[in-house]
Amino acid sequence: MKRGILGHIAFNLLAWSVVFITAFPLVWMVITSVKPQFELFRIPPTFWPETVTFEHYVRLLIETPFMLYMRNSLILSTATTVLVVAVATLGAHSLVRFRYRGREALARLVLFTYLLPSVVLLLPLYLMMVWLGVANSLLSLVIAYTTFALPYALWLLRSFMQGIPDDLEAAALVDGATRMEAFFDVILPQALPGIISTSLFTFILSWNEYLYALVLVNTDSARPLTTGVMSMLVSAFNIEWSLLMAASVMMSLPLIIIFAFLQSYLTRGFGAGGVKG
Amino acid sequence: MTDTRLEVRFDGVQKTFGAAFAVRDLDLIIAGGEFVSLLGPSGCGKTTTLRMLAGLDFPTGGQISIGGRVVNDVAPGARDIAMVFQSYALYPHMTVAENIAYPLKKRGVAKAERAVRVAQVAETLQLGALLDRKPRQLSGGQQQRVALGRALVRDPRVFLLDEPLSNLDAKLRNHMRAELVELHRRLGRTFVYVTHDQLEAMTMSDRIAVMHEGVLQQFGTPSDVYERPANLFVAGFIGSPGMSLLRGEAHGGTFHHPAVTMMVDAAGGLVLGIRPEDVILGDGPFTARIRLVEPTGHEQIVALALPGGDALTARAPPDMALHAGDNLAWGVRVPRLHMFDAASGKRLPVAPAQA
Repeated sequence: MKRGILGHIAFNLLAWSVVFITAFPLVWMVITSVKPQFELFRIPPTFWPETVTFEHYVRLLIETPFMLYMRNSLILSTATTVLVVAVATLGAHSLVRFRYRGREALARLVLFTYLLPSVVLLLPLYLMMVWLGVANSLLSLVIAYTTFALPYALWLLRSFMQGIPDDLEAAALVDGATRMEAFFDVILPQALPGIISTSLFTFILSWNEYLYALVLVNTDSARPLTTGVMSMLVSAFNIEWSLLMAASVMMSLPLIIIFAFLQSYLTRGFGAGGVKG
Repeated sequence: MTDTRLEVRFDGVQKTFGAAFAVRDLDLIIAGGEFVSLLGPSGCGKTTTLRMLAGLDFPTGGQISIGGRVVNDVAPGARDIAMVFQSYALYPHMTVAENIAYPLKKRGVAKAERAVRVAQVAETLQLGALLDRKPRQLSGGQQQRVALGRALVRDPRVFLLDEPLSNLDAKLRNHMRAELVELHRRLGRTFVYVTHDQLEAMTMSDRIAVMHEGVLQQFGTPSDVYERPANLFVAGFIGSPGMSLLRGEAHGGTFHHPAVTMMVDAAGGLVLGIRPEDVILGDGPFTARIRLVEPTGHEQIVALALPGGDALTARAPPDMALHAGDNLAWGVRVPRLHMFDAASGKRLPVAPAQA
């Protein structure tokens, strides 16, 4: 009994210290973002701000192109997600349901693309974008993100689709549905947890991506948040810490909101996919 | 009685997967309103045959017709059939009512009409209280009923049933067997029923199509396949415990086997088939040693070792004194014996006689 309590306490201590280590930078980010500039570099540092101010947020929204970057990031991530999920859902269904030559090889090849570090693909992709005439645009980033999000999405959704019994689609066909109707009426609702976790994965990937955005896009009108905020607030001579923290908080908001709503789907999704894959 | 609009025909139907035959040269005419079972061990081609009839698999040769119309190129939904799957294949995200209404919805039946038809089916199958549940909240038997309801709701020409009872427990299976027969009688539609369970096939069907390795072995009434099996496969497959098959040689009008001698009007390698109920124990011209006695309650199944090493199975009354290891005289009901050609496996139209 005593050992049970001790074990309980030890476990909780461990769990809470992990939570603390993970959460502290985030808390610090939020706190820093509402401190006045002069309080930031005080020694010893204050934990709770003496005065709370939202001036950095206001400055960020009004005086900087932050909202432009935010808009770019939203468009970019949403477009990538929609494209990747649409292609991956149909592709995964095809890989699972139809028999054709090279089906298995294709499925393996898809995973093979992950053996290459993305840095290796950077230059070839850039040259291809120039050749296509889309360099320096949001579209180039959508294409680039799709190239590395799609294979994983396909693989993830494939394992989901494999868990859906063939008979369901057959029953829908016999019941009078066309192939497309059977797909939308029966397969899609079954694959929904998988589609949601794939969407989240793709959205986060494109939202946080930095390297490709840095290399492929060189103009403010097409810059997403990651590179935009960096180039705007971090220079060789000065780092605008308050603004940077305020920007970071606002960058995290969309993901936090999405996670809050879809968390249960996400865990369920990855769990199911993992077991069946 | 027979209605040609409900007739199902297979004309030289083939299905190959690569070099392997799943179904070979299938000719089968199922009369309108008939209850036909496709019976055979797993991998015999019966499910492929059903799926081709449903339009879910495509024949690589031959023609399939329903009601006189060739349906090779007709989509499953346009064949006017309904199918019950072994897994039931209920749509998990839909309620029972939505599941049953789905075939109507896909055929553009108005919502009010759908509700009426679903209610009727629910009443027939006693599903009324479950209409708002999701399939996962139902027991196996209830799910089975919903699958049946989804097939019934549209009044199709042909019902296809793919081992619909195999996931139920034994008691419920007996009950549903009777219910399906009753349903078939009431609807008067053609039923094509796939099973590996000969008891189901024997008890429910008007006719049984026995299949093996993609080839139709025999198509006949239950008593046909039992009393006059067309070949060695059917002889061995139908009946439980199975027919004993004794391989021997015939010359000069006599069939010779180490344990049995018979007069027969044939020559060459022959196989003598004896059903367990046709063995008379304790009296007769032959002898055997009792190897094993299995009492089942209403009878005893007796495994006998014959001179020459062959085995013979017999049924005996429950009160007959039988002991493993004892020697025993035995005989047969001669008119009920079966004779097959050993090389071709085909049934021979000859009647053996006591030597």
